[in-house]
Formats: sequence, C-alpha cells, structure tokens
Amino acid sequence: MTPDVYRAISDPTRRQILDLLATSERPVGELAAPFAMSQPAISQHLRVLREAGLVAERRVGRQRRYRLNPEPLKEVATWVAQYERFWRDRFTALERYLDEEEP
Amino acid sequence: MTVSIKYDFHLKHSPERVWNALTQREAIARWLMPNDFEPRLGHKFTFRRPPIPKLNYDGITHCEVTELVPPKQLAYTFKGGNLDTLVSFRLEPEGTGTHLYFEHSGFNPDDPIQKFALDTMGGGWASLGDGLDKILSGS
Repeated sequence: MTPDVYRAISDPTRRQILDLLATSERPVGELAAPFAMSQPAISQHLRVLREAGLVAERRVGRQRRYRLNPEPLKEVATWVAQYERFWRDRFTALERYLDEEEP
Repeated sequence: MTVSIKYDFHLKHSPERVWNALTQREAIARWLMPNDFEPRLGHKFTFRRPPIPKLNYDGITHCEVTELVPPKQLAYTFKGGNLDTLVSFRLEPEGTGTHLYFEHSGFNPDDPIQKFALDTMGGGWASLGDGLDKILSGS
C-alpha cells in the first residue's frame, strides 16, 4: 500500500500530534502526555505518520525523537486550488472551441 | 464563510454563440467535461472527470440547473466528494463579442483536513523555498 498523506491526516489525533511536532521536536513520551492514550497507541499513530513521510525520527541516546516533515502536505491539494487550475484550463478550451466553430 | 473562484474575460463571439457553448451537451463535452446536461430549469445531470483520490473524490459531479436565462445567465449546483458548491455564468454583450463573468462559489475553507494542511504549511511556504502559486498550481 502506498503511503497516503490524506488518510494520515484524516485522523484528528494524528493532526494534533503533528500540531505538537510543528512547534518542536519531541520524544514519544511527551507526545503521549497530552492525550489520554497509551504510549503504544501513540507509537502506532507515529508509525502511520512516518509511513506517510509526515514525521521523521532520530535517536538521541536511548531516546527516539520525532519531528514534523511538512513537505508531503503539499500533496494535499485543496479543492479551490484544484478548481482554479481546472477552470483556467477549461476556459482556454472554451475559447479554442468557439474559435474553431466560428473563426 | 465560504470561498469563491471568480474569472471574467472577453470573448470575441456573440452572447448567443457563447450561450450555445455553455448549454449544448456536445459543446460542453468539447470544452468542459462529458455530461448529460439539458437546458431546463431543475434538470439534474452529472459531469465525469478522472477521480482525485487525494480529495476522496470519485470524479462524478452531481449538478442541478438553478438558473437559466438565455443568453444571459446560467447557474447549476456542483456537488461531488465533500464538495457542495455552485457554478454560475453571466454573459454581457461587449462590442460584437461577450464579456463572460464566471463564479464557482461555496468552497468551505473550514473543511478540517484542508484547513489543517494549509495552516500547518502556513508559515512554512517561504522557508520551503516554493512560491504558494507553484504549490497550489500543483506543479
């Protein structure tokens, strides 16, 4: 299965985790604290985020620290952006169509 | 609060010609999308385009004609995926041609996923070395 950024951020808990990581790098314990969740549950969310490329981890001594990688969020194109581009292309096609019908 | 896309531009063709291009099924298919449009108030139809999995959209847009005043005013609802919007066209004679006013309205900027993507990217646009235009245009 290909990593799916959209699916990764469709979960509110994972969005909150990313919000926390947006301010600074954190170890998993610090991420579990604000949620009424076990550390393994948080680790599971982190795994999904890591697979989607949204979170990077590094080892510092015995600790794993996580940080946000916002790059893949670019892939979450918005509807407005999709349609701005779509209509611009379509209106070029409309003009071409009219020119061909009645030069 | 909702967000709109607006475009207006001149076409050298008469309002009648432009109107036909906007309201005849085969013409619409040529410049816009395959469809089963009928120029009738209240007519329900669909547009088909390739799916956009990232937006959880199967490519089918469900529409209903809500305004039809030849050759001046056309509007239809435009719904698909989690999109619930309205598309409208207004035609005004301009010289021997037409000025076309287009609006696609009703985008919900509070959709939690898109809002999150934009907010989180927010301050990061510049530091990532990419112009917003470039990112939003999908290039």
